[in-house]
Amino acid sequence: MWNYIEPTRDSIRLKPREESDKKGEAAMKSLRIASGSAFWGDMLDPAVELAEKGNLKYIGFDHLAELTLAIMQRIKTKDPKKGYIDDIVAWTRTLLPITSKKGIKMISNAGAANPESAADEVVKIAKELGLTGMKIGVVTGDSIAEHMDEIRAKGWKFKNLDTGEEDIDRIKDKIVAANAYIGADCIIECLKEGADMVVTGRVSDNTLYVGPIMYEMGWDYSSKYTDLVAAAVTIGHIIECSMMCCGGGSNLWKVVKNSWRPGFPIAEVYENGEAVITKVEGSGGLVNEWTVKEHLVYEVHDPSNYLMPDGIADFTSLKLEELGKNKVKVSGIKGKPRPQTLKVCIGYSDGYIGEGHIFFSWPDAMAKAKRAEQWIRDRIKYLGLKLDELRIDYFGINMLHGKAAPWPSEDIDWNEMGLRITAKTKTRDEADAIRREVTHLWTAGPVSASFGVPFAPRPVVSLWPTLVPTDEVKPQASIKEVK
Amino acid sequence: MKPKVYLKELAFARSGDKGDISNIGLMAKNAESYQVIKKEVTPERVKKYFKGMVKGDVKIYSMDNLNALEIVLHNALGGGATRTLRLDQTGKSMCGLLQRMEIEVDEDVVNRAREAEEQILSRYESW
Repeated sequence: MWNYIEPTRDSIRLKPREESDKKGEAAMKSLRIASGSAFWGDMLDPAVELAEKGNLKYIGFDHLAELTLAIMQRIKTKDPKKGYIDDIVAWTRTLLPITSKKGIKMISNAGAANPESAADEVVKIAKELGLTGMKIGVVTGDSIAEHMDEIRAKGWKFKNLDTGEEDIDRIKDKIVAANAYIGADCIIECLKEGADMVVTGRVSDNTLYVGPIMYEMGWDYSSKYTDLVAAAVTIGHIIECSMMCCGGGSNLWKVVKNSWRPGFPIAEVYENGEAVITKVEGSGGLVNEWTVKEHLVYEVHDPSNYLMPDGIADFTSLKLEELGKNKVKVSGIKGKPRPQTLKVCIGYSDGYIGEGHIFFSWPDAMAKAKRAEQWIRDRIKYLGLKLDELRIDYFGINMLHGKAAPWPSEDIDWNEMGLRITAKTKTRDEADAIRREVTHLWTAGPVSASFGVPFAPRPVVSLWPTLVPTDEVKPQASIKEVK
Repeated sequence: MKPKVYLKELAFARSGDKGDISNIGLMAKNAESYQVIKKEVTPERVKKYFKGMVKGDVKIYSMDNLNALEIVLHNALGGGATRTLRLDQTGKSMCGLLQRMEIEVDEDVVNRAREAEEQILSRYESW
């Protein structure tokens, strides 16, 4: 049995009843930390609600997908002052007046390819708000693009973890960015230096949470704390995708209420490595054993070895318990020490994608679409277009599941039918030819063709996932003070 | 003979991506269904079912503590989110496809799984 005591900002208490009844025993140390963003472009209003009503000490913000760094690196190459996620400007402007009053610290990876410039923006905003003396921690050094030759010279191969390919020379000249998912070391260092906010580039998503948890609890990477750090990794994993553990993307969607004004997740973490996942009272969404489970199985491979730069968590050891409405206790987490290698995402230029859509109305919508498919295949052959891959999908039929989707009965008299025609090519012109040929179908194909939306050819950055020895990556922490 | 039913009768599912790897968390609706999916959902069967979409290995890990399976499909997303021609670039819909796989299972087991789902939904309806 557990006593749940409503938290105050500075001390949140939850302790076993038997223990709390013992006279004079100190209450367990705890910390409230929340997730304010899961991706570039996530909702801002739930983060505002968290800041105002969450009784929090920290909010973490993840803005980076696997290849966002490559996009940001390209932007930085054109303008050395850019290359960060500019959402940080609006986010900081909106949140800082609240967080600075309440003493909430924000940890954000919006620095992307340029944490220094992102932090400069934060300093500018803090200055406008009159927050003199505020300290902004900056974490850099996750990019290994500049050191790859050096590391290879020592005999390290950047083997592709997806394909097994070892010959990185094939893509060497096309590399746009190479970033290691670094651990919490530098975030902790910034917090020790008194940072009120920390801006990073690529760190592992859950490190945004592991850092502050380790710092506040006084845990380190020694064997004494292995299970506790694994607990921090697990808690970070549960909340890092904001709504995705709070009834967003849920199998229980029929009973998830008001997720249009969602409550993002809060973890109440205890010094024994247990946590309660919850959300602001009255907010939309749902936190229960199923929604937390949905995120525990999400984007995980071997669940007994969830490899992260701060530690390895064993999700098969933990226990979930509902303590009440929107309160789920996570306990029993075991783990192993942090690995000796870091994951690296290398992004490299890899041709173009061209795309066109076309739609036909009743009567004979499906027959017209099938005729149009044949037209485009014949036309590509006739013109001798060079395509690496061609894909033709029928809207509402096989666009998501391809060949594995069963074809519907031929007797259905469709109201409308659309085609999505897309091709991967080596050059921009070849990709644009696909878009152009789909427009020719408008005039040369069956009657009733609706145009849809034109798509410009898009450059492809492909992913080469690999590893690097941890020792070869040298992250750095620094502090900018608002003067 | 046991009737054939869709996996969705026994389990919830959610899928995600890392590079070209798709993973599907398959969460049984009750303990009994977990034992069934643990036995019936095999790597060979899953690979065959995905009809050429999964070019690499299929690995399945069990999570007995959560009544869930973690199904990992290698080389399954057309080269990964940024280079694939698939509209579902990150494979978020792979869970629905797996839930449509048919398995043979006793009618009683299916009925109890349906009851379990009804109970789950009615429990949270009032939250």
